[in-house]
Amino acid sequence: MATHNYDYDVLVLGGGPGGYVAAIRAAQLGLKTAVVERENLGGVCLNWGCIPTKALIHNAEVLETLHDAADFGFGFENLTVDFSKAVSRSRGIVDRQTKGVAFLMKKNKIDVINGHGVFVNSHSIRVGGSEYAEVKEERTVSAANIILATGARAASLPGVEIDGDRVIQYRDALVLENLPKKLVVVGSGAIGMEFSYVYNTYGVDVTIVEMMETVLPLEDAEVCAEVEKSFKKAGIRLLTGTRTEQVEKTDAGVTVTVKNVKSGETETIEADKVLMAIGIRPNTDKLGLHATGVDTDKRGFVGIDEVMRTNVAHIFAIGDCTGKLALAHVASAQGIVAAETIAGVETMPIPAERYRFLPRCTYCQPQVASMGLTEAQAKAEGHDIKVGKFPFMPNGKAQALGARTGFVKLISDAKYGEILGAHIVGPDATELLPEISLAQMMEITPAEIARNVHAHPTLGEVLMEAAHAVEGHPIHM
Amino acid sequence: MPTPIKMPQLGETVVEGTVSRWLKQPGERVERQEIVLEISTDKIDTEIPAPAAGTLLQITASEGQTVRVGTVIGYIGAPGEAVVTEQPSVGTEQSPVTSEQSPVPNPQSPIPNPQSPIPKPTGREFVSPVVARMAAEHSLDLDSITGTGLHGRVTKKDVENFLGTGDKGLETGKTTPSPQSPVPTLQSLTPMRRAIAEHMERSVRTSPHVMALFEADMTAVVRHREAHKAAYAAKGIDLTFTPYFVAAVAEALRANPQVNSSFTAEGLLLHPRIHVGIAVAVPDGLLVPVIRDADELNLAGLSRAVNDLAERARANKLSPDELQGGTFTVTNHGVSGSLLGTPIINQPQAGILGIGKIEKRPVVRSGGHPLLPSADDAIVIRPMCYLSFSFDHRILDGAEADGFVGRVVQVLENWG
Ligand SMILES: Cc1cc2nc3c(=O)[nH]c(=O)nc-3n(C[C@H](O)[C@H](O)[C@H](O)COP(=O)(O)OP(=O)(O)OC[C@H]3O[C@@H](n4cnc5c(N)ncnc54)[C@H](O)[C@@H]3O)c2cc1C
Repeated sequence: MATHNYDYDVLVLGGGPGGYVAAIRAAQLGLKTAVVERENLGGVCLNWGCIPTKALIHNAEVLETLHDAADFGFGFENLTVDFSKAVSRSRGIVDRQTKGVAFLMKKNKIDVINGHGVFVNSHSIRVGGSEYAEVKEERTVSAANIILATGARAASLPGVEIDGDRVIQYRDALVLENLPKKLVVVGSGAIGMEFSYVYNTYGVDVTIVEMMETVLPLEDAEVCAEVEKSFKKAGIRLLTGTRTEQVEKTDAGVTVTVKNVKSGETETIEADKVLMAIGIRPNTDKLGLHATGVDTDKRGFVGIDEVMRTNVAHIFAIGDCTGKLALAHVASAQGIVAAETIAGVETMPIPAERYRFLPRCTYCQPQVASMGLTEAQAKAEGHDIKVGKFPFMPNGKAQALGARTGFVKLISDAKYGEILGAHIVGPDATELLPEISLAQMMEITPAEIARNVHAHPTLGEVLMEAAHAVEGHPIHM
Repeated sequence: MPTPIKMPQLGETVVEGTVSRWLKQPGERVERQEIVLEISTDKIDTEIPAPAAGTLLQITASEGQTVRVGTVIGYIGAPGEAVVTEQPSVGTEQSPVTSEQSPVPNPQSPIPNPQSPIPKPTGREFVSPVVARMAAEHSLDLDSITGTGLHGRVTKKDVENFLGTGDKGLETGKTTPSPQSPVPTLQSLTPMRRAIAEHMERSVRTSPHVMALFEADMTAVVRHREAHKAAYAAKGIDLTFTPYFVAAVAEALRANPQVNSSFTAEGLLLHPRIHVGIAVAVPDGLLVPVIRDADELNLAGLSRAVNDLAERARANKLSPDELQGGTFTVTNHGVSGSLLGTPIINQPQAGILGIGKIEKRPVVRSGGHPLLPSADDAIVIRPMCYLSFSFDHRILDGAEADGFVGRVVQVLENWG
């Protein structure tokens, strides 16, 4: 079928949600495809990210409900809580999910090549052993097109070494054998917030240290305030506007020195463990990229255009290694565009300005889901806006669920009604976002959302009310 | 197997090239590295050497044809060797495509598969509420707008582009001969013209431009230049005024880092290095070659760089990467006689400095009160020059901008 002499039409380096999805789409389009993976299919997402965290979070949610059991008319003489069961349940789910990916590879006749890939030249990759797994026999594979989907790993503060025992990262935090008494979480992005929620619910004394003024610094200010209120009420200590100066291991645990950015006051916190959740570093350093001429920025992220092409025409890059928006669904969406571009079929490019309209989710309680601009950003960019906000509190379904916090906030362009931002905090926020993101993509405005009849009673009615509020006429207010 | 000749990647941002001339015809013998054709891109014209020795077997992109980077434009092989191009396999809907042959899609829009063109959906053209409202307000006929959304849907961006560019569906790129005389003729756009048009339009749309006008007394610079011209010439350097301005700008940029920046939604991107672009007029347009780390060069170094870049720009011998990465631009429009210009920012930079013609003008100098009439006032004749600084008001405010140009003036007036 091919007029080239390479082994494959497409070789995908990395089998995470970016890579395996790109491979499936390429295979569907009739391209001869292989995936090189050094660890486990499914990447960070299935093995160490999205999936296992959501399993632990659900455990915490059940536990939280049990804590409130009296409200529902239940009483427990002797509630036993076994965290190791939560971990083993989480790992069991991971196992089933990765097997599912392996099945999809087989079904689509995609070759899975185990091992760590290093470029020999811009069309060939040598696959061999690595710190993750040994490989019996090294081999070199070549392809007409290559998709980089090597993902990223946890970053640490300069001079702070993650030892997996007292200074830990997300991989360690997912499989703790014993619960620490006291945990310091550095960084309050999605990962820091999710683990804080889980461990606090399981009775760990949690302190979050965040350098920016609020937790979840990328979210709308009102959303941040709502989450902060809930976290404080749950007993989590929040040190925002605070920089982590030093992390020292002691006999008993760790000593974390922090400094308030404004006042300059320092404080030392003694804890059993500290979780580094300050961001990611791309896996582009041990790849032999120099043999290809592919450009990265100073931090190592690969530059791409709107069809995921790097500066080398036959090499594409997707997912966390591109540093656009480090989320699994973004990696998958990029993978589909890359595969379709290689096959030469119709695709929907993702230009740089599109990324901020892609969904962003944080799964702690209360959940946070958003897309587009925050109110402050919209104003700063000079948009003439209308804002509609509606709380979950009056909603019948929310009350039935026992949810008391949260709201939906919609921001639209005052003139043509284009949705500029959506911010949801509260019950099942992440499940409510797709309606808005579809509307935004299709340029549907709050006026139509308000008139789209939503079933009663559902949480989605709050969305409809927020849309009414943009138009100036919320009903249940 | 025949070796394909491909449209090369001539720099990061170049996505396509036009075949200007084949120097060899099919059947002719070529040596490896021998020039076989000339191509032009929106930035540059260049020659393409043969990737292998042999016979030019086939030309697949003829003169005048524009193709994407990576596309095969010809084949070299043994005399008489057959060129195997891919046949779409019968019966399969999507025939697999490989990089060698892949029809390289246009990244700006949904990419139709050349082998199975997507039929234009009829009767179910979706017009979004936002687009409908915009169309109503501007009384637009949506059929005249090219849609870039999935299945050709017209998006808000398409309407904005349509309104912004006034693209009325005119077919450009062809010269329509006037059948009955007094009809305007359409002159086709060169790639460079098109690139300049696109860039200027985008810049004006992106940055709220504000201009600050300063005047510099060039006596010190003229004196210095007169004193050193001969010595420079002996070293093979043509000492012009431009390097003085670049030197003054580099120093002022170092003192005002926010002028050496780019606006992004996330914040101001302050560039750690100072790369100054200089606008050079070339036969069919304008190029802006970049002097890298201009702040690390002395006057001689800057002069050499200016000479070399300007010369090669006019001879069309710059590499595309020499035209990229500038953090600030200087345009010496005075060389063609204008006293004052209002330059448009070279995106994504924060500003551009226009330099007017240096000419002798009467100016007032005073040893007395700066503003009140005084016996020490005198009208003198000095070589004067207007410096017009267009800046992005999202990044800079008047006071900061003035601080920057004031520093440039100060360096020029105190030269030596
Ligand atoms: C704790 C945590 C929770 C998260 N929760 C969410 C969430 O709820 N929702 C969400 O959308 N995102 C979440 N994310 C982010 C998400 O996991 C990533 O965005 C996603 O995994 C990125 O996918 P990817 O394909 O780019 O890379 P990865 O998933 O990192 O996969 C890259 C793969 O490439 C392999 N690899 C790397 N280099 C080589 C090489 N040289 N040779 C061979 N193989 C190689 C790696 O072993 C890995 O399997 C979470 C992340 C973390 C850490």
